[in-house]
Amino acid sequence: MSALVRMRLAGFLRTGRALAPLLAGLVVLGTLYGGGRAQPAEAYGVSAVVLFPVLAWQTKILLDIEPDVQRRLAQVTVGVARERLAGLLAAVVAALVAVAVALVFPWLVGGVTGPVEPGDRSVPVGIALGLWAHLLAVPAAVALGALASRASAGGAAYGVAVLALGGVGAVVLGLSGSVAPWLAPPIMATARTTAGDAAALTLLGLTLWGLAWSAAAVGGYLWRRRAQG
Amino acid sequence: MRLENVWLRYHRRGSWVLRGVDVQIGPGEVAVVLGRNGVGKSTLLQVAAGVLRPGRGRVVDRPARVGWVPERFPADQPFTVSRYLTGMARVAGLGRSAADEAVTTWTQRLGLGAFSSVRLPELSKGTAQKVGLAQAMLRRPGLLVLDEPWEGLDAATRDLVPGLIDEVLAAGGTVLVSDHRGETVRLPAARRWAVAAGSLTEETAPTDEAVAVVEVAVPAARVASTVARLRAEGHQILRVRADASTTAPQAHPSAPSSPSALDQPEGADAVEQAAGEAR
Repeated sequence: MSALVRMRLAGFLRTGRALAPLLAGLVVLGTLYGGGRAQPAEAYGVSAVVLFPVLAWQTKILLDIEPDVQRRLAQVTVGVARERLAGLLAAVVAALVAVAVALVFPWLVGGVTGPVEPGDRSVPVGIALGLWAHLLAVPAAVALGALASRASAGGAAYGVAVLALGGVGAVVLGLSGSVAPWLAPPIMATARTTAGDAAALTLLGLTLWGLAWSAAAVGGYLWRRRAQG
Repeated sequence: MRLENVWLRYHRRGSWVLRGVDVQIGPGEVAVVLGRNGVGKSTLLQVAAGVLRPGRGRVVDRPARVGWVPERFPADQPFTVSRYLTGMARVAGLGRSAADEAVTTWTQRLGLGAFSSVRLPELSKGTAQKVGLAQAMLRRPGLLVLDEPWEGLDAATRDLVPGLIDEVLAAGGTVLVSDHRGETVRLPAARRWAVAAGSLTEETAPTDEAVAVVEVAVPAARVASTVARLRAEGHQILRVRADASTTAPQAHPSAPSSPSALDQPEGADAVEQAAGEAR
């Protein structure tokens, strides 16, 4: 299965279509860090929010690059389950590369600062919280992108609609006072937590929430793939 | 492999493309799927290959290794021929050296050597179809499914296809082929499955023809290939024995004087293997 993951990543990189989400990610990060300096945990929390739709879009592109017949050839060769899993794993690898860029970027442009006042978090703690926020966004973004992919959504318009609704919904439903925050992945709640009091129980709860949402979305993706044949 | 009461439609409220298909095919058998355009030949082949999942019914005892040659090879991919085939060989589970060896073998056999470094989108339709054929053969399949394999191929490669099918059959594999060009006349031993209105019926060959037995002596090293070729041409192999020197010259004075199986110790295994297959 690792060979299929490598082949899909190679296809993603060789078409040049990987550039579009990369550039989009750099633009949003540049905008985010262009306004001033912030402490790492707070900055990374917002970074994970703005990267969420970019990672989902990147996943959709990666999965859509492969022609339908080639995807079926892979399915015949490695089996249904491994073909599905290989696509998701390739998307996760691509997302982790983007996360690495997002974590390094603010240090290159001077967008973060160390503790300013007594009681501020140390830089290592801030980076750890930022890494957690981004890693929590990855499975949810990959699941959303997979749901929006051609093999799952069917037509191109449906795919764009799923991506747009998922991206906007994650922000709107995640606002404070939302009536149905559980319908969205906890990226907004994560950003609030990294900016405020990050208690261990809160982190654990958000992690479980994010994983549960991602699992449900992946389940939906697998169900759609099965229904699409 | 058996298709048991297989029904399939592409959309929940669409009409059924396959309706209660029941059919069975065993190792060493080839079947040609016939029918007009749009009757479901490709659908049937994709169900057999595991590409499509039946809405009702099931496919059982499908061989583990399936090679599928789609009707149109997906050439819109950013790989060269060599890199694509190597990638598919690795995906099929071959190690690095085995993958390189398989790719070299099949690019040479199918005349793709000159195109190794050519990108897939730049290939002609026929050359791309050869790549599709090669990827299915990189690891010898237990089930080879060929959807219009002759489409777009040049004459030399069209002639190669029956040989590839024979190799799969000789190794105990099963082959399914669809064809609307009449090329399957090259497979006289094939069973003929006619698809119409979603149903499959098997066309049976007349069985009341008089038959004769012809004894043939061949070099031991060519026993397996000869048996496979004769089978593919529609002949029934009754048995293979290693004592041709005692009877063949008397029965056939004009038989070639090539060494018999008994004269070639290294061929004894091949004779024994072919005899076992004939039994």
